[in-house]
Amino acid sequence: MNRFLLTGATALALLCSGAAQAQQRIKIELWQGLTGDLGSAVEEVCQRFNDSQKEFEISCPTQGSYDSAVQNAIAAFRAKKQPTIVQVFDAGTLDLMLSEAFVPARKLMEENGYKIDWTNYFPGIANYYANSKGELYSFPFNSSSALFYWNKDAFAKIGKTEAPKTWQEVEAFARALKSAGYECPMAINYDTWTLLEQFSAIHGEPIATKDNGYGGLDAELVINKTKFVDYIKFMKKGLDEGLFKIKLPETGANIVQAFASGECQMTMTSVADHGTVGKTAKPEMKWSVAMLPVMEGTKRLNSLVGGASLWVLNGKSKDEYRAAAAFLNFIAKPESELFWSTRTGYIPVTKTGFQHLKEQGFYDKPQYKGREIALESLTASEVTPVSRGIRLGGFIQIRKEMRDALSDIFAGKVSVEDGINAAVERSNAVLRRFEKTYAGKQLL
Amino acid sequence: MDRRAVYKTAWIGGLLLAPQLLLVFTFFYWPTGAALFWAFTLERPWGGGNEFAGLDNFRMVFSDTAYWGAVWRSMVFALGSTALAMGLALLFALFCDRQLRGYKAYQTMLIWPYAVAAPAAGVAFRFLFAPEAGVFAALNKIHPDFWNPSVNGFHAMILIVVAYSWKYLAYNFIFFLAALQSIPRALIEASAMDGSGPLRRMWDIQLPLLAPTMFFLLVINITDSFVDSFGIIDLTTHGGPSKATTLMVYKIYFDGFKGLDYSGAAAQSIVLMLLVMALTFVQFRFIERRVHYR
Amino acid sequence: MIERTPVLNFVTHAVLLVGLAIAFVPMWLVFVAATLSLQEINTPPISLLPGSHLWENLAEAWARADLGVKLTNSLIMSVAVAAGKIALASITAFALVFFRFPGRMAAFWLIFITLMLPLEVRIVPTYAVAANVFSPYQTILDVTGFSWLWQQLTGTELALEWNLLNSYTGLILPLVATATGTFLYRQFFLTVPEELMEAAKMDGAGPLRFFREILMPLSITNMAALFTIMFIYAWNQYLWPLLITTDRTHRGTAVMALRQLIPMSGDSTGGGVPDWNVAMAGCLIVVAPALLVVALMQRFFVRGLIASDK
Repeated sequence: MNRFLLTGATALALLCSGAAQAQQRIKIELWQGLTGDLGSAVEEVCQRFNDSQKEFEISCPTQGSYDSAVQNAIAAFRAKKQPTIVQVFDAGTLDLMLSEAFVPARKLMEENGYKIDWTNYFPGIANYYANSKGELYSFPFNSSSALFYWNKDAFAKIGKTEAPKTWQEVEAFARALKSAGYECPMAINYDTWTLLEQFSAIHGEPIATKDNGYGGLDAELVINKTKFVDYIKFMKKGLDEGLFKIKLPETGANIVQAFASGECQMTMTSVADHGTVGKTAKPEMKWSVAMLPVMEGTKRLNSLVGGASLWVLNGKSKDEYRAAAAFLNFIAKPESELFWSTRTGYIPVTKTGFQHLKEQGFYDKPQYKGREIALESLTASEVTPVSRGIRLGGFIQIRKEMRDALSDIFAGKVSVEDGINAAVERSNAVLRRFEKTYAGKQLL
Repeated sequence: MDRRAVYKTAWIGGLLLAPQLLLVFTFFYWPTGAALFWAFTLERPWGGGNEFAGLDNFRMVFSDTAYWGAVWRSMVFALGSTALAMGLALLFALFCDRQLRGYKAYQTMLIWPYAVAAPAAGVAFRFLFAPEAGVFAALNKIHPDFWNPSVNGFHAMILIVVAYSWKYLAYNFIFFLAALQSIPRALIEASAMDGSGPLRRMWDIQLPLLAPTMFFLLVINITDSFVDSFGIIDLTTHGGPSKATTLMVYKIYFDGFKGLDYSGAAAQSIVLMLLVMALTFVQFRFIERRVHYR
Repeated sequence: MIERTPVLNFVTHAVLLVGLAIAFVPMWLVFVAATLSLQEINTPPISLLPGSHLWENLAEAWARADLGVKLTNSLIMSVAVAAGKIALASITAFALVFFRFPGRMAAFWLIFITLMLPLEVRIVPTYAVAANVFSPYQTILDVTGFSWLWQQLTGTELALEWNLLNSYTGLILPLVATATGTFLYRQFFLTVPEELMEAAKMDGAGPLRFFREILMPLSITNMAALFTIMFIYAWNQYLWPLLITTDRTHRGTAVMALRQLIPMSGDSTGGGVPDWNVAMAGCLIVVAPALLVVALMQRFFVRGLIASDK
């Protein structure tokens, strides 16, 4: 009887202490911008962190989209109710850098006693989120780069077993595919991330003066004077000849769907879509990926990273920063990177993570094979001033201007030169406005 | 609004008004005021300093040809969607009110779209109007580019007008139906005994009695088409192709919400508000005069 | 109907059938999309006939978005918003139409103009107000020097705070102000015969009794219609709940959960599997209660109409 009571009391005490411990967990929030399946993937990462230790608890609500994540974080920051961490997509980087609203990555980790080997991050990824001295401001998280997707079955019909390496080959292959009866040799869209940004980086062409804006807020777009103009002419010609087809969600299928369904035989899009194609293509369809083609006679430079990074915001308590540092340390672990890359199509951001994936035989599995090419593309050369990244204010609006220009050009409403010139002019107005808004601020 | 019989106890009236006015002040005017302040500055999105800019933001807005394009398209959209949504709703309501066999089923189905959340409706219309899928695929096979809203701006405009009107059609239908049903049956029956046919009765009795409802819907439809079109555009055309479906509110949303140009968006908001107010004023001034309340 | 008009009857049916098609086809597409597998839906052209995956898609959507809790939250929010709007709209319109006092028209316009202040425009400052509802008043007191005076007199600092983030109140209160409802009620009150009011006055009924015993029963129809509309309005709110609730597991609404299921299209840098089939199955679930309310209320307000006509 006594013993029973005792055990009962002990159990109760244990329960209580357990509850107390659970209550004491330091809670922080990460506001993410991903939705759908990717949004769930982020939540799983957070859950893994919560399960891995007892001290901290993170929750990762989605804000509906990348834009809303930034917008909601701004609203919350102004009302002093901000989350500890926010996910910000590539084009929003400069706004945050100038905001003074964040704790730099290096400072956060040092203050919380983590020794991070910052050179472990791939330079092509880290430089996008670092200041001009290479000091990382935010933590690269979901990272991707663009790949060239091609249909092996269709290529076999025209006697090809390899992806085209140059755009001239793309044209020749597309012509052959067309004669072999394929309606849509290659699917394209108006996405500036591949057509403009990746193209310019790979070809070593500047997008803006001042090292693509890294050198100061007074940068100006120069894409109306680079190879980009020839490239768009080339694409327009291909479109007119029916070698390329525009595929948008509005027409019924985006480029990924058009490629996965076997309707189009080539396309270029993010490595993050690798999993989508694998999941939605017919099982018997054979396809593969390669690096983006270059114009004949060009030396290939590294491609640019896409995706988003995690920023730690100002104005939180010491404990919250401790939790944030623990979480950010957790996601950079090789096992976390393996989980993340397996669950999504994103690539590992650290060298050790990549090594770990290779050792685990990740890239040998048929469903993931080819994703290493994104990293090869990102590390194809030493990072140069023009392939380091893009640091332009109002970049979201600039992308939109370019996108509108491309859609006008491809629809034949304006000539290639006129379209690009007009977009450059409008974009420069955006840049000047941004410069004025941040008058007196210096890029670090 | 003038009536002969009114209560003169002002304090009760004031008290009755107070809750709504308090809410409106707290959640509408105060925040709007804060946002409008930005129209005269260059506001940094994350805070931490803004430059006084005087009227520069307005100068920028008015000198932008893309802005005037958006104004023009908003007008077209307002007229198109209001005409479509109100015209069809009235037609269906009048015919439904004839109460032929099965009218209940028609009535129910016509009201239902109102319940469908914008995300679902937007996606449905994207499928429906996709040039390479659904009904238009067949037509496009016969005549390439017969229908292609991803390239043709005019087609894209039709798409957003139709998709937007779909929901408002149901909204207007509910009101017309309710108003029609509140017309005493006896009035219609009496008129029928006098030998006037169904169409005659619609014209002579039902339409005039619908005038207050029509006025209400006209004001709501036009106003909403200026401020509420964002969702459907974002789900279908994203303002494209090029800028063919970038209406004023979408441009505000894009510049401010996505582009983080708070000041530019605030200046555009002021212009939009003044425009809609002017339109509403005109409607009250010139149209409500012709409306006879029973 | 009263007389036989076969041609017109035929035309009536034809017109209404067109209407039926307009209303039905988009909904049918959502339904069809919800019955397909991921592969089928990503292979254009989209089939126009349902597939065989409806139940698994529904189950997947329900589980993934935790719709049980979300539907409850939406229900609480929508009923409260609709009821609040009706109460506010009726008393405001009553004051506007049946009273004569200075500033009456100004008040009407002040309320009416809120129609033209979309949330997208004022979202950042509105959030700040929701974080502390008293902040505007605090600012006013600070600026006018009242706070300073208070501190001098009482020795305490005047700090008002009422935080609405993550609460039902926060979901509901900012949505309750209603220009549409007020306008609608105003339109209705204007059609009330003046004799009615004169009679009430002669019976010695004060304004509040007139409101309660005569106007309210008369406006049942309006109430039903308004309730339906406002319920749907609140049910389909997206931007505001998304901003104000960070505690998604406990306070999230159904439409928020729905948008969570829908992968937003954007640059390819976002990636993401467009599993529209699950998203559309989620749509069906989320839309169902709204449809139910519309169907039920429709019968109610038709009955209410017949009753008030006698």
